[in-house]
Amino acid sequence: MSIGGATLDALRVTLQVASVATLLSAPVGVALGYLLARREFAGKSVVETLVALPLVLPPTAIGYLLLRLFARHGWLGADTLGFDPDVLLTWRGAVLAAATMSLPLVARTARVAFEEVPARLETMGESLGLTRANVFARITLPLAKRGLIAALLLGFCRALGEFGATIVVAGNIAGRTQTLALAIFDDMQLGRDDHALQLIGISVVIAFACIFVVERLQRRARGEA
Amino acid sequence: MSAPGLELRLRLPLAPFDLDVEFATSARTLGVFGPSGAGKTSLLEAVAGWREVEAGAVRFNGDTWLDTELGVRTAPSQRGVGYVPQDLLLFPHWSVERNVLAGVERGGAADVERVLAVLELGDLRARDIETISGGEKQRVALARALCSQPKLLLLDEPLGALDRALRRRILPYLLRVRDEFRVPLVLVSHDATEVAALCDEVVLLEAGRVVARGAPSVVFASDEGWRAVGDEFENVLTGAVASVGASTATIALGDALLEVPRSALEVGQRAVVSVRADDVLIATERPRGLSARNVLAARIERVFGESEARVLARLERDGAAMWIDLTSGAIRELELRPEREVFLVIKTRSCRVLSARGE
Repeated sequence: MSIGGATLDALRVTLQVASVATLLSAPVGVALGYLLARREFAGKSVVETLVALPLVLPPTAIGYLLLRLFARHGWLGADTLGFDPDVLLTWRGAVLAAATMSLPLVARTARVAFEEVPARLETMGESLGLTRANVFARITLPLAKRGLIAALLLGFCRALGEFGATIVVAGNIAGRTQTLALAIFDDMQLGRDDHALQLIGISVVIAFACIFVVERLQRRARGEA
Repeated sequence: MSAPGLELRLRLPLAPFDLDVEFATSARTLGVFGPSGAGKTSLLEAVAGWREVEAGAVRFNGDTWLDTELGVRTAPSQRGVGYVPQDLLLFPHWSVERNVLAGVERGGAADVERVLAVLELGDLRARDIETISGGEKQRVALARALCSQPKLLLLDEPLGALDRALRRRILPYLLRVRDEFRVPLVLVSHDATEVAALCDEVVLLEAGRVVARGAPSVVFASDEGWRAVGDEFENVLTGAVASVGASTATIALGDALLEVPRSALEVGQRAVVSVRADDVLIATERPRGLSARNVLAARIERVFGESEARVLARLERDGAAMWIDLTSGAIRELELRPEREVFLVIKTRSCRVLSARGE
């Protein structure tokens, strides 16, 4: 069985969407992770809960909320913004859905990565005269590095497999918004079992590689060599 | 206020008691001594600015670092202290040299090469922190603190994490730091030998309170102090090197002479020598026909304890205090009591030279 154009299209769309989604969720997730690990502020537990919400809500619910947000009359719709963000039923929508769904994983994993850096090391850095920014860049970040890479990889994996929110926001348009997850669903509906299995095989290979690397990084971050 | 030295008034809650201390001292080297859990580390952290203080003030050489009534709280980096905490807090992803240079961030013109030389770290500078030994890490942390050009050095149990043999190998480095850099220092310790060797003054802390304060030889001889001294005490004696032979050297303590193993001593140097309290014998008459080379006239000052007993004697010529651990049976049979004149018998090999430096 050869790999056809439709398969390659779905693979291309998936990698594109997941990569851009990771680029979006990375800075937000890492910043949230740092905030939750190192700062005390009013309403912290509310933020913690909100960040975790996409993990447990039905993805279609998140998708629907995004749909309402970006609809013409929504808070981020064309009427409010004064221009059309062109999110719905486009690959941008798929990116947004995937980024939203993977943010909790990125933030929570990043938080653990920061928490594993002893705060007293940062205090020592500051008392030796390093600025806070310097302490972050030269001490915290390098020591949390492995955990943070794991966080991004996990976010990327979650984006790869996103289905529920994506189909609501971006639809299922072959070659444009149809990711591997959506294509597998299509193939099953249409009885193209061979093709579905091929796509599943590709998904397994990518996910296996990512998770394998994540596990190794996290083991090394815990100092188990 | 512009009194030189350290002025402390602190109250902060600890479990199961509060730390509540108030004292001022102009000692150049201050020991904070007491059993584990007495509040020593909390006191040091309050001076370093690492810990919230409920009420109190910290002043050093006239600078106010903390005053809760005036609402003054100077940031740790602005206090100019070199803090070496018990867990050292070396940066594990950096080399020895980079760790040491982190101290220069604040200080500017530190003589890094001299610090590395005094602490014998030159050969280790390129090594990863994770690959060096515990004693070496201790020296790196000291070097980093010294390179930050501290006005005051704060050392928390610098020998605490090390085993006994290693402790005695690090002590000479601390003596060197004290003598070569002449930085005022506060040393937290539960090791009386360390305090006796390094400190001009000691504060005895128990359950958050100061129970005695003064010169180590006085505090350790007090009713409050002698129990806290603990086992394995080593007497620390300082004198001038009088002569150096093939395998031994003599140290003048006043005009008494102490024969010690030769080490790397030169005539005229000041030498610090330690002798374990249970390595000293007491004779009521000057002994003859004895292989031990040192027989020093002394006068008993106090006798402590019942089962495991301890005698405090003062050398006739030098006035230095010596602790001697004996059994109570020996004390009874020899009728040892205050004011009695005795002879202290010490083998050459029981003397350990900790440090020596030119005058």
